[in-house]
Amino acid sequence: MTDSEPNPRPPLDGVRVIDFTWIVAGPTCTRLLGDLGAEVIRVENQQTLDSIRFGRPHPNGFDPPDSGAMFNWLDRNKRSITVNARHPDGLDLIKRLIRISDVLVENYSSRILENWGLSYEEQQAESPEIIYVSLSGFGHSGPQRDYSTWGPTAQALSGLTSMSGMPEAPEPAGWGYSYLDHMAGFTAAAAITAALRHRRETGQGQWIDLSQVETGMALTAPATLDFTVNGRRYRDTGNPPGNRSVWPQAAPHNTYPTAGDDNWIMITCTSDSEWEAFCEVSDHPHWRTDARFATLPARLRHQDELDENIGSWTAGQDGRALMQRLQSADVPAGVVQNGVDLVVSDPQMKAREWTVTRHHPVIGEHLTDGLQIRYSRTPAHRDLPGPELGEANQYVFGDLLGFSDDRIAELQLNGAMG
Amino acid sequence: MGALDRIRVLDCSDPKGHFAGKLLAGLGADVIKIEPPGGDVGRTYGPFLDDRPGPERSLYWWHYGAGKRSVGLDLDSADGIELFLQLAADADVVLESCQPGRGRPFDPVTLSDHLPELIVLSLTPFGQTGPWRDHAWSDAVGLALGGPMGSCGYDNIPGTPPIRPTEHHAGHISGYFAATGVCAALYERQESGLGQHIDISMHECMGFTIESSAPWALYEQHPLIRQAGRHAGPQPTEPWQYPTSDGRLINIFGMPRSEASWLALVGFIQEHGMGPNLSDVELLDGRKRQLGLQQPTVAMMLADIAEFIAAHEAEEIYAGAQAAGAAWSIIRTPDECLADEHWRSRGFFIDVEHEERNRTVTFPGAPYILSETPWTHGVRAPMLGEHTAEILCGELGLGIDELGALIAAGVVR
Repeated sequence: MTDSEPNPRPPLDGVRVIDFTWIVAGPTCTRLLGDLGAEVIRVENQQTLDSIRFGRPHPNGFDPPDSGAMFNWLDRNKRSITVNARHPDGLDLIKRLIRISDVLVENYSSRILENWGLSYEEQQAESPEIIYVSLSGFGHSGPQRDYSTWGPTAQALSGLTSMSGMPEAPEPAGWGYSYLDHMAGFTAAAAITAALRHRRETGQGQWIDLSQVETGMALTAPATLDFTVNGRRYRDTGNPPGNRSVWPQAAPHNTYPTAGDDNWIMITCTSDSEWEAFCEVSDHPHWRTDARFATLPARLRHQDELDENIGSWTAGQDGRALMQRLQSADVPAGVVQNGVDLVVSDPQMKAREWTVTRHHPVIGEHLTDGLQIRYSRTPAHRDLPGPELGEANQYVFGDLLGFSDDRIAELQLNGAMG
Repeated sequence: MGALDRIRVLDCSDPKGHFAGKLLAGLGADVIKIEPPGGDVGRTYGPFLDDRPGPERSLYWWHYGAGKRSVGLDLDSADGIELFLQLAADADVVLESCQPGRGRPFDPVTLSDHLPELIVLSLTPFGQTGPWRDHAWSDAVGLALGGPMGSCGYDNIPGTPPIRPTEHHAGHISGYFAATGVCAALYERQESGLGQHIDISMHECMGFTIESSAPWALYEQHPLIRQAGRHAGPQPTEPWQYPTSDGRLINIFGMPRSEASWLALVGFIQEHGMGPNLSDVELLDGRKRQLGLQQPTVAMMLADIAEFIAAHEAEEIYAGAQAAGAAWSIIRTPDECLADEHWRSRGFFIDVEHEERNRTVTFPGAPYILSETPWTHGVRAPMLGEHTAEILCGELGLGIDELGALIAAGVVR
């Protein structure tokens, strides 16, 4: 890009999103849309603020609603307005906003928008081409549409929790975070961008109904098919398999201890050539010719001894040095990293500038993390911090909707902008 | 009609991109899977039909290959690349997953420069740059390095490692970024007429997908403690998974916040003659019910709840708690989900004809219900090279003799 060319615009430049989301699932979706250049306007309400605004950490001191790091992380690249949808004038503000917007996303329980008078049909009356996304635990149809979920309970219902753990443990390890909040958000973002493409082609909007549990069940297919095709239930064969691999067949395929407290390396050999390379580089070339380990079927049969041998060898070694040594022989190996490792010591993340410093009016200087989708011509961005509550009221009600200062003051007084 | 109607995707990816390609197919794109003449490696992933391996018997492939057309083409041969470039000239999107320094058959940036309207997506373990870009990789190594696995495991079984959730989740996570990246680029192209190259590092996709680990790391450099069946946290928290009388587990995360819903839940438990301490007035204060702070009131509450759950069957607890407004759930295995009438009534599980085997197979279906451009499973996963003649001769105009010669030379299958 030379100086004479115009600044590149991100791919969703010009798309306006009304964001009725909170907690993690919906905001994950709208963060991605914001990164891709959409103008995302969070519609917030003083009486029922997003609890993420209050959650820890508060690096510059607890001063809600704008001091939360998690909110600033998850809700960057968005604007914020305050509206009370239960107030007639508040509902009118939202309807006016719908007329000049492209997408409306919400992740409330399944009857909330309907009760406010903002069903899909009512949205269409304001803007026939609106793309409406409802993201709830069970979807907006079916006998259990009034049931609700959080990420962890959705994961449990979908089957995903049961598929993570050690075979002999009394309970699954599951997921140590709301995986399906993120995945449901990503699912919504994919559907929205596809629907935008369709709308630009045909002029047609639509309603996208998402169930968080369904987004999870869609990720369990091989295990589900083993049941529907082969009649095998998931637990029939000693699942979940810990860090071993059932499919594709591979051995070794496990975590092994390294020097220090609670440090681990994942080593996976999915072919004989990787196994042979591993033996060469591991100072144990005789493992190659040991009948117990010479072939994949033999290694699978003797996996306990295999893992014990490898664990004895890795224990006490520096994990990162060991990873480099194995990688130098082209063996798939990686240390188990946590978030701090990604931010502080991961050379790959450093080289690609995964974190950059940004400023927030309350939190101050801080790091924000990467853009996952790197376009050559229309780059995404990470320039706006998480919005202070109501920071865009003047912009949206004055500049976009054309209300006078007097009218805005009135709406503030009468509770419509509550 | 799908949302990506008339979009053609050439999918040269390996298992790293199988889910990305499937998402685009589900949204209505014509996805042409370019397989090596020996078959995509995904065909060797089980489980298999009747437990007998074979390239057309992989249930993994039946799912991830569904809705795609298959062309067997050796991209390591000059003739193969020539045909690929001809196909690319007529495609909207090329999806590839080769690491830059590992002998890839074409350079995605050069291809993108050569065909300015084309969107070229490189979905690779670490991206196109950086010291690890060519590191050997597997889905499990990706989850280990990228952060998700570090938050999963057992606090109550000493010496156990972090646990990797099974089923190709590095591919699932980055598949969504890939699909979204492509759709947004297609949207932009409708206005500009131009394609571009997209570089996605699966490692970076993992790094966002770790919830509160990210802000704790970015702002405080504070690692979280992994715990069985619940969120990793800066401090230890109370268990969420409790065994039932019928040998199953209930997840009680989602304790009621309002007084009304708390009283409804207490009512449900006390109707069964249990939970005497739940009437404690202290528990009327929502803050005294808040999990994660190691409060004595919460210990008292959870003891009663655990006792109630241990004395009842999972389905009864699940239905009763949800009716009372608590977002509790059963920890189900994938096979157990099929019995739930709610998913049946929404049409989630779908029956797909596998005519050549004279059988109907039930699959998990749509991750989203789009009212005007319905998601599609598409036709059953293709057999290796099933569409080679249809595409190379019927659409590209290759003569049948030329095709025969290429097949004989091992370039095409």
